[in-house]
Amino acid sequence: MTAPAHGRRIISVKGHTMDNPIKTLQDKKSYLDLRKQERVTLLEVLDRALTKGVVISGDIVISVADVDLVYLGLKVLLSSVETMERLRGAPIVGPMQEPT
Amino acid sequence: MSKTIETDSLEIFANEMEKVKDALPKKIEANPENAEKGLAKLVLTLIELIRKLMEKQAMRRVEAGSLTDEEIERVGETLMKLENKMKELKEIFGLKDEELNLNLGPLGDLL
Amino acid sequence: MSLYAYAIIDSTVGVEESIKGLSGAPVYTIPYRDIGIVISDLNAQIQKEDKKSVLKHEEVVEMLMDKFTVLPMRFSTLFSGKEQVLLMMKNYYDDFIENLDRLREKIEFGVKTIWPGDLIRERITTAHRKSDNLPLVASSSGKSFMNEKFENYKIDKEFEEEADRCIAIVDGFFSKFISEKRLEKLKTDNLLLSASYLVDNEKRDDFKKAFEELKSSGGDLKYMLSGPWPAYNFITLKHSGDGKFGGMDLVETVLQHKDPEEKDEK
Repeated sequence: MTAPAHGRRIISVKGHTMDNPIKTLQDKKSYLDLRKQERVTLLEVLDRALTKGVVISGDIVISVADVDLVYLGLKVLLSSVETMERLRGAPIVGPMQEPT
Repeated sequence: MSKTIETDSLEIFANEMEKVKDALPKKIEANPENAEKGLAKLVLTLIELIRKLMEKQAMRRVEAGSLTDEEIERVGETLMKLENKMKELKEIFGLKDEELNLNLGPLGDLL
Repeated sequence: MSLYAYAIIDSTVGVEESIKGLSGAPVYTIPYRDIGIVISDLNAQIQKEDKKSVLKHEEVVEMLMDKFTVLPMRFSTLFSGKEQVLLMMKNYYDDFIENLDRLREKIEFGVKTIWPGDLIRERITTAHRKSDNLPLVASSSGKSFMNEKFENYKIDKEFEEEADRCIAIVDGFFSKFISEKRLEKLKTDNLLLSASYLVDNEKRDDFKKAFEELKSSGGDLKYMLSGPWPAYNFITLKHSGDGKFGGMDLVETVLQHKDPEEKDEK
């Protein structure tokens, strides 16, 4: 079978329609782009829906991520340290504090 | 409302965002088989956080010039031992650095 | 059977019965005072974080955006029954009202920026290695350790300062058109900025134009705009929680332990 000429549709022996090869190539490229778009959209959705939004904590919630409660508690602890530092105007010193 | 994703570099963003997704802390499975490893992961993550904070604090002091030579040596020895101990513990529990990632979000600045 | 929550809305009625959520179950609203929470019944107690479920969650939330002001729930928020839902609504009511009022008629856009972070880090590292400005004489193991850590510290610091400079420029393109922003810096070395912007509906086109200007500003940075999104990144819960992990309560408790001198100065 010879390659089809530009813009002409060839009916192959088996009865399938063979499209213009350039059109097929464009289709393939946009298919790949679509797949990439889907991938990026999914990653964007995951980043938002899995980690952000309204996060309810407490006994009345059944949540898969029970470990969240520990992380949430830790975040609160760290944020209160940060707030303290800001209000004091200086970093909170740890075991390496020099005697004042 | 139709959503848009607009960029000239779709592939580059896709790849970079995959890396971010992989770095998210994974849920700790609380079933009998995994309980020990899950607990170890949690504890080691917290220790790593404190260790890194201590290192950062030490660096700030070196920068400010507020440590004596002797103190630098002592702090260095201590931090080195902590780092080695952590490497040991990670090996014992079969945990990799990426697994001990605590996603602090905006508080990540502390580190 | 559990109740799966999709979003808080500023209405007690009006959600289309035809909207289907997870496992094909129809969504409905549980009202509380003048607001509502959009729910569907779920048989599975554990909600697997599989791609299909998350996308379905998002689909429901986005359908609600057309008609209501929406506070999207994080994926996989489940309740064991209606009383638990109402108890939660009571606890969080003030927070929800504050958020609904703040987010009314606004949408979230995402702007991501990629820069050649690997190369920049290399450049900074090479420059540091070249100049022998080690602050200490590396004579013993503790000091050598500190030396190495300090060098990495300086490199990180310079890298981050460079990043902050670039981020300020990118962010500057949008400041006129936004009400709030959340900036996540350097989620990876190359993902310079992952920004979420809260934009008034009316300013949407201005914002998009600003993005076009950013794109054509030259340089070898790459940009991506996504949206509009439900305002996932702009939910702030300040007054709520069951006390165990109540954020502000803990802060207040810690702050109360002041030094005697400071108390006198008040």
